[in-house]
Formats: sequence, structure tokens, C-alpha cells
Amino acid sequence: MKERKERKESKEREEGKATGEGGRGAARDALQGGRDDPWTAAWEVSRRKAVAVVDCRQEIPCDPCETACRKGAIRVGDDVCALPISEPETCDGCGRCVALCPGMAIYLIDRSADGGKAAVTVPYEMGEEPRAGMEARVVDGEGKELGRGKILEVRAMGGAAATLLVKVEVPETWALKVRGVRLRQMFIEEPEEVEGYRGTGDCLICRCEEIARAEVEKAAGSGFRSLAALRRASRVGLGYCQGRFCREPLREELARKCGRGVEELGIGSPRPPLRPVKISRLGGGDVRDTQF
Amino acid sequence: MSEILSSEVVIVGGGVIGAATAYFLCKEGAEVMVIEADDLASGASGACDGFVSLQTKMPGVHLAMALESARLFPSLAEDLEVNIEYNPCGGLMLATSQEQMKELRARAKALKSGGLEVEMLSPAELKEYLPEVGKGIKGGSFCPQDAQVNPISLTLGLAQKAQEMGATILRGCQVENIVVTNNRVREVHTTAGNIHSRRVVCAAGIGSNQIGKMIIVDVPVLPQRGQILVTEQRDPILKCLVSGAEYLGTKANIPELLPTDEEAAKLGLGFTAEQTASGNVLLGSTREFVGFDSNTTPEAMNAIARNAMRFLPWVEDLDVIRSFAGLRPCSPDGLPILGTVKGVKGFYLATGHSGDGVCLAPITGKLLSELVLDGETSLDIEPFSLYRFK
Repeated sequence: MKERKERKESKEREEGKATGEGGRGAARDALQGGRDDPWTAAWEVSRRKAVAVVDCRQEIPCDPCETACRKGAIRVGDDVCALPISEPETCDGCGRCVALCPGMAIYLIDRSADGGKAAVTVPYEMGEEPRAGMEARVVDGEGKELGRGKILEVRAMGGAAATLLVKVEVPETWALKVRGVRLRQMFIEEPEEVEGYRGTGDCLICRCEEIARAEVEKAAGSGFRSLAALRRASRVGLGYCQGRFCREPLREELARKCGRGVEELGIGSPRPPLRPVKISRLGGGDVRDTQF
Repeated sequence: MSEILSSEVVIVGGGVIGAATAYFLCKEGAEVMVIEADDLASGASGACDGFVSLQTKMPGVHLAMALESARLFPSLAEDLEVNIEYNPCGGLMLATSQEQMKELRARAKALKSGGLEVEMLSPAELKEYLPEVGKGIKGGSFCPQDAQVNPISLTLGLAQKAQEMGATILRGCQVENIVVTNNRVREVHTTAGNIHSRRVVCAAGIGSNQIGKMIIVDVPVLPQRGQILVTEQRDPILKCLVSGAEYLGTKANIPELLPTDEEAAKLGLGFTAEQTASGNVLLGSTREFVGFDSNTTPEAMNAIARNAMRFLPWVEDLDVIRSFAGLRPCSPDGLPILGTVKGVKGFYLATGHSGDGVCLAPITGKLLSELVLDGETSLDIEPFSLYRFK
């Protein structure tokens, strides 16, 4: 519990830094706040070498970063929903975690070149191919443009479905804000609002039970009246995540098929535990200690 | 309602009993309409484990009925288009004291004379069935005829097959009244309109009492809550059904087998474990009378988890991902209520199965179809009559 609290605090600091004014200044503030802050440590280490910075805020069952790192510098731990913790000293800046993080939430920063410049390596999964020497638009986590940066290096990593890693040179003050690059050509016509993503038939709606959209559509069309009934019939949403990921698309699908409002359908009947909990913990000690 | 609905038989309730009755009636060519207030398997049939347990039945008519039912499962598994995950895996009942062993041994004898195969096992012999049992386990009884099934698939499969054979299923349709004239059922008034029918089967589970009131008959069925924990999916680790002797004790009210712990006795706690086809382990269960409240409670979840570790210590490592509770239609003696009602022709009861609905569904469906169509049944159902309680 204590550990989680600390992690939460450090997360808040990270967020303050990521959106705050001036990456370097914010990092200095954080340094005064506490030495064990992984971001502060990474910031310091990046003076000497390229180092991974983890900006993961989603407490979801996801741990490719842990196995991606051959140095063991990133740990998620036993709770697969926990946020990863990185050790900047151990990190060798190889970039495997950057390529393998499905949430594109890991970056490399390298300030060793000095001169007020930093090299930031970000994952790139767009259509157009970036090349070294090109000028790219550098964007922050909100997708807002920070300015221009020169692409220093482009490499592919991650096996068959490789992700491109783009190293871009930016002023040092942006180093902690950069979350991606866009190529110039793409700037011309961009829609103001992005429509919701609607997957194809074989797109998995329920990832835990591996149930495809087409299957859900079929089940939803066969006359079930509630989310609970649909769940019973198709097992959709009955997996490890307890339906936290798929509930919304499911409700929409069912509402569409049975011609009712999404609100009318309700949210089914969620039952504890909210998160997976070991039998030993659930059945241990006093019942009042049992947390859901 | 401009449309006039009619059907030879109306079945009230879309649970496993209603679906099985519809299936067997349709097989005989009857015209059937199933009325379900919510959705198929939305009550007890959708919130239970898949035990088809024969060794927990009372020696005598109850066991005879269960044996007949067990014989029907393999053919159902073949006939239904849905995979009902029928698995004749056998069932193990574990004793935690020598007194319980003694009682189980006596029961095994009685069950054997009723035609059931039961084998008594020493703690050493349990190793053949389970990787590890708790230190307090003194042995158990194994019944190779016990089996497991997916109750939801069974219900949906039966309903779907019945529908294919011509049954109409009305979901979200509530019965408002049943019209009786000249001592005979004539009409069923529902939220979807009036249905002309001369025969009504009440398979409404915990709603049976309310349906009975419409024809001024008191059907003594009370909701009994059973809570179950669901774990994450694992590779097969449980080869057979496992239960504790206290489960039988709370189920059949056998004083020798009741839990000694006060809190456990209050919850009606009894250990059950099964691994479903998808790999989840279901751990149960409780028997509580709390009205129509189908929420799970922290007290019961804690007790179930603790109890499970007592029997199978290695479950401590499993992640619980969900809990659920079902309201079993409980009759005063725990046996089903089947048959006709005095003074109202064309009204049939198929309810009060308590914790045995899934196990007894096939035979209940078959007997009801015989009763409705022929007026007599292949197995004597007199012991299950409503009037045994008077």
C-alpha cells in the first residue's frame, strides 16, 4: 500500500512535469522534491548517455516493457496492472522497450551532446517513412506542435511487425515533453475531430476471452435484452479485466442491435472484486482487511 | 393488442427447467410458448456451478430421478447444437473428520443399494484424483457417475433447439394474471398480451410463489442465496468435481455433516470446486436466506476463500476475478415440487429444485412433457407432489 502511494505521488510529479512549463526547470523542481524520483534520475543520467523514460499512466494488465528490457531495468512486478518502474543507471539505451511498448509510452532521451540540445527517440507507426536529415514536426502528449526538429537517425526494431524509432534533435527544454514526431507533408489536411474507431469483424472486442466483433454482433442480434444476458451467452466481458475494456463497445453494439438507448441497457451487474485478488489474500486474516 | 396469441402449452420461466420442459414437449410435437420475464438463464440457471452431482442426492426417489437425469445428459450433449461442455469427470466428496467419514460411509452404502457407484477413499488414495489436499482431510467418497456441464449453455441450447422445433420464446414478458374458469386454466395475461392456453407449466423458480398466488395456490418456494467465486483461467488442474462433506450437510440438512464453526453455519458454507471448460475454477458456496438480494458479500467471499484453502491449499495462488450469487428456488425439504394442482386443471408445477435444477433439468423436462401430454409419468412423481407439505 505504501509503495503504491509513493508511486502515485511520483506519478503526479511526472504529470506536472510532462505538461508543466520548461522540461528542465520542472525536472530541477522535482529533484528538490525527492531523489528517488525515476524521472529525475533519468534526467540526470541522460546527461551522460541515452536513457529510457517511462511515461506510463495506465494501470492495465500490460507488461511487454518488462520482458523487452534485456538488462532488467524495467520492472512491473507481480501485479500485472502496476505501473512500470525503471532504473536509469541499468538502462543501456537500446530502445527495445520504446519499440515494444504497445501504448507508445516509453522514450529515450540523450543530453550527452550538450550545447543546449537533446536527442529524443520516439516510436513512429505512421504511413510515411521518415528519413535521417529530414525536418519533422515535434509534438507533445496532447498532439500539440512544440516546433521543428531535425531527424538524426531512423531505425526499425521489434521483429516482424517492427516499429520505427525516430531520433530527433530538439532544444533541451523540450526533452521531457516530446511524445512523437509528424512529418511535414501530413500537416496539410487534418480533420478537426477524429471519429471513433470502428473495428473490422475480426477485431477482438473482448481481449481477455478473445471474442471478435463479428461473434459479438451475431450474439447481440439473437435477441438478448441486456448486457448480462449477452455476457452469459458469449462469455464476452467475463475475462481477467472484468469487462473494463470492452463494456463500452459492447453496450453500443447491443444498443444498436436491439434498438434501445445505451443508457437503458445499464452496465450489467458488476460484482467484486474490482481487480483480480489472490485467494490467499481474499481468504486471509480479518474480513475487514479484505480489499476489493 | 390486436394480435390474439394462443398456444397449446405455456411455460412460465426461461431457466433450465423451463427450457428443458419446452425441449421435451416440442420433441413430442406440442405447440409451446415460453414466457420469460427477463432473459433466458437470467435467474438461478445463469448463476450457479455446473455440478451434475449424484452422490449428494437423497437415497430413494430423489436418487432414482437423478440417475434417470444423468442418463439423459449424453444424448442431450449430442442432440443440442450448442456445446454444453458435458464432462463425465466424476465427483469427490472430502471429509474433514472421522465422524464425517463415518457418515459418508453409511451414506455410500445406502446410495450403492440405490444403484449408484460410490467408492470410499483413504487420504493416500485421494492422490490419484487430486495433486494435494489439506492436512485436515481424513478421506472421501468418489462417485464416477458425477459429471459437470455448463448450465448457461445447457439452458440456451435447450431453448434454441426447442425454438428450432417450433417453440415461441417471449423474453421480457411478464405474467400478470392466469385466468381460471370452470376449474381449468384458460388464459395467461401477460405484458405482451393475452395468451389463450389450456395448459400452463410453472417453471418460474423463485417467482413460482407469485405465479401460484394467481391461481390461489401457495407454492412454498423461497429464494436461497448461493455465492460463488470465479478464478482466472488456468490449464486443467482439477480432474473432477470436488466438494466438502459440509456442502452435503447444509444441502440435505444432515446434522452430522453441518459446519461446526458458527459463522460458517450461519452462511450455510460448504466447499465446492470445479474447473470449467474455459479453465476458470468456480469455488463455492453458501446457502443463505436473505430474500431476493442477489449481491455478493465480503463476509461470504472471505469465508469461501478461507474454506477453499482448508480443502485445497494450492488454490491460494489463484486470482479471483469475479464473484456471483444466484437465488435457488428452495422448497421446505429441498426436493423439487412437481405435478398437478388440486382444483385447477391444466396447471403444472416444475419448481423448487433448490440446488439441483441443473442436475434434474433433463428428467424434469421429460416427466413434465409426459404429464402434460399423457397425464401419467414413467417415474412416480407422487413423492414430489405439492401436497406432501400439508
